[in-house]
Amino acid sequence: MNRISSVFVPLTLSVLLLVLAAPGCGGAPDDSKVIRVTRNIGGREGFRHHFDAWKGAFEKANPGWKMELIDLGNQEGSDYYKTRIATGDLPEVVMTWALTNFLADAGQLQPLQDSYYEKFGIPLPTPYKGKRYTSQSGLQLQGIVINKKMWTDIGVTTPPSTWDELISDLKRLKEKGYRPLVFGGREWSASQPLFYAIVTNVYDRVNDPAKPSWTKRRDAGEVSFRTDPTMKMIIGKMFEFVDAFVEKGALSDGYNEEQRDFYGGKGATWLMGSWMGGDIEPNKVDFEMEYWPIPSMTGLPPVMLETSRLPNGWAISASAKGEKYDKSLAALEAFYEPDVYQAFLNGESQFKIASKVAVDGPKSSWAPAQHLYDSMAANMKQYGTALGWHIALDDLPPPVIVTSMARVMQEILVGTRDVDKLLKMLDDDWDSARKSM
Amino acid sequence: MTRTSLYRYLSSFVLCGPAVILYGGFVVLPAILGFAYSFTDWTGWNSHPHFVGLANFRELVRDDRFFSAIRFTLFETVLIVAFFTFGALVLAVLLDSITKFKGLIRGLFFYPYVLSILVSALLFQYLANYREGAINTLLRAVGLNDWTQDWMGDSRLAPYFIFCLVAWSGFGFFTTLYLANLQTIPQDLYEAARIDGAGAWSVFRRIQFPMLVPTLTINSVLALITGINLFPQIVVTTEGGPGYRTATLGYYIYWQGIQNSRQGYAATVSFVAFLALLGVAALQVALLRRKEVVL
Repeated sequence: MNRISSVFVPLTLSVLLLVLAAPGCGGAPDDSKVIRVTRNIGGREGFRHHFDAWKGAFEKANPGWKMELIDLGNQEGSDYYKTRIATGDLPEVVMTWALTNFLADAGQLQPLQDSYYEKFGIPLPTPYKGKRYTSQSGLQLQGIVINKKMWTDIGVTTPPSTWDELISDLKRLKEKGYRPLVFGGREWSASQPLFYAIVTNVYDRVNDPAKPSWTKRRDAGEVSFRTDPTMKMIIGKMFEFVDAFVEKGALSDGYNEEQRDFYGGKGATWLMGSWMGGDIEPNKVDFEMEYWPIPSMTGLPPVMLETSRLPNGWAISASAKGEKYDKSLAALEAFYEPDVYQAFLNGESQFKIASKVAVDGPKSSWAPAQHLYDSMAANMKQYGTALGWHIALDDLPPPVIVTSMARVMQEILVGTRDVDKLLKMLDDDWDSARKSM
Repeated sequence: MTRTSLYRYLSSFVLCGPAVILYGGFVVLPAILGFAYSFTDWTGWNSHPHFVGLANFRELVRDDRFFSAIRFTLFETVLIVAFFTFGALVLAVLLDSITKFKGLIRGLFFYPYVLSILVSALLFQYLANYREGAINTLLRAVGLNDWTQDWMGDSRLAPYFIFCLVAWSGFGFFTTLYLANLQTIPQDLYEAARIDGAGAWSVFRRIQFPMLVPTLTINSVLALITGINLFPQIVVTTEGGPGYRTATLGYYIYWQGIQNSRQGYAATVSFVAFLALLGVAALQVALLRRKEVVL
């Protein structure tokens, strides 16, 4: 036993030391001149093209430095960011979405100076607790994209003015033998009809600073989903919508299937944000589309949603210190290089907000894409935009409400017709999520 | 301290130390921290949680979705425990009696266990897809269009489809444990039974089953843990949907902690689930130990 121990103990210790030392022998890659940037590319060619242009512009203007992509796929980043915060390794430049306040409150963002926005002619975003953090990027719309030929076939060439008119038109499309709608219930995109209905019917079209928003009133306990008669009416309309137009098997489909069906000319209507327009040219979609406003359920005129007024885009994280801060700022500045900004506007199908940047976007040499962009611009001008619930970072529903709406739609898809039960789901999720803020 | 005892002390330290450190660092410490976090409002976004006393526990007792997750988890667990405990037992006995291609057939049953859970779940997600899944494609090919289903989307079918996924993935492992136990049964018991004219059923009932009870105990506890911990399969396939109908306890903890940024509350759910699992497992072991046979 003694002999075994006298050999085994030093031997094991030596092996352990070797194992521990081995990882250090290869030498760590030199990341001292790398700026890591997060982006939700996934399978979107337009987004990838934009990032490549951005990386190229940054690396050309900053010799010796690299821009590294952290692709978040189809995620909005919160899981990834929390993990990186826990390990103290947040990338230097982060895409923030509706997470700006979470990141700022956690001390993970560094504010941008007003001179950054002035340099490119960007309207100053609403400050959050007195500071501005995000690069802002462009103007993003949400509305309804339609297959022009199919809708023209039923004699409809202008947007329906009410929700009931939309339903009636969809029924006519169905009677004509078209699939009236592409809709997948598996993931977040299932929330779109309910989201559109809530933000255009429950929220005020014009935000009066003197009047608390529905969000503020909900937080104060003055209203709730369960007690709001408009919400009950909306859920009733969702029953009709699902029963009439959503096909069996919708719960197997998500955003990708919706996109594939619509681009493949298999559906007449898609309730989707303007970003869908960025994939038309890469996918060589060869029919004409138009982008229409969202019709109201409460007698108001149709309207498009503008979801990019809130602080959005990219921000510099607390990881960027010293020279890395300067280069992170350089990365945010490279974003507004005309070629890069144009690629962004094209990829996201957003409209220009940086007035000093010489671009006019989104633009495409692919006729159907350009036709859609023109339709977006014309209808935005004709019907106007509303912010819905996108009022300010401290006047915003909890981010989880998108998931919650998708789950309510799933319940409707599987046959739940108890309005109170469905609205309670929204209330419960809202109340629970507020405890995380 | 003598030289011998010093060596013994060092040997035990070297042999056990790394495992103890790893287990302590990655299991015990997080469990203790998790318990501590269950009394806080930690969101995961910052490192400064606030102490909230028993608020999370008070919320938990009124949380319908927590109880719904428990109900669904228990439903799946009952199916899983029954199948891995008794289904795997029957299969093991059958496999043990095979004389030709023994290794190949056993290997085929074990093969799904080698696959990562995520791969298995993705495979089943593909199988279940309404439009392009293999099951519905096959049904349509043989003219059974009316039989096609949204296997993961239909709330009546999804629980069973999830069970099928778990059963397919783990069947080989549980069967292998029984097979290993079957090899330890002395041959003279079989020979004595044969001399006495015992049939296959008698051999199973009077020799094999009593001798397999220790493995049955282990399998049932492992199956219980598999059922209670049902999580990656849910994340990949249904994400707890439709609605929250297939949210298991594990998925609910993930949803609260990660998606809803309520790590403190998720820790409370975890702690309560841990206590419940501990209690059930202890009871299960105590009950089954009584039936074991010692040679």
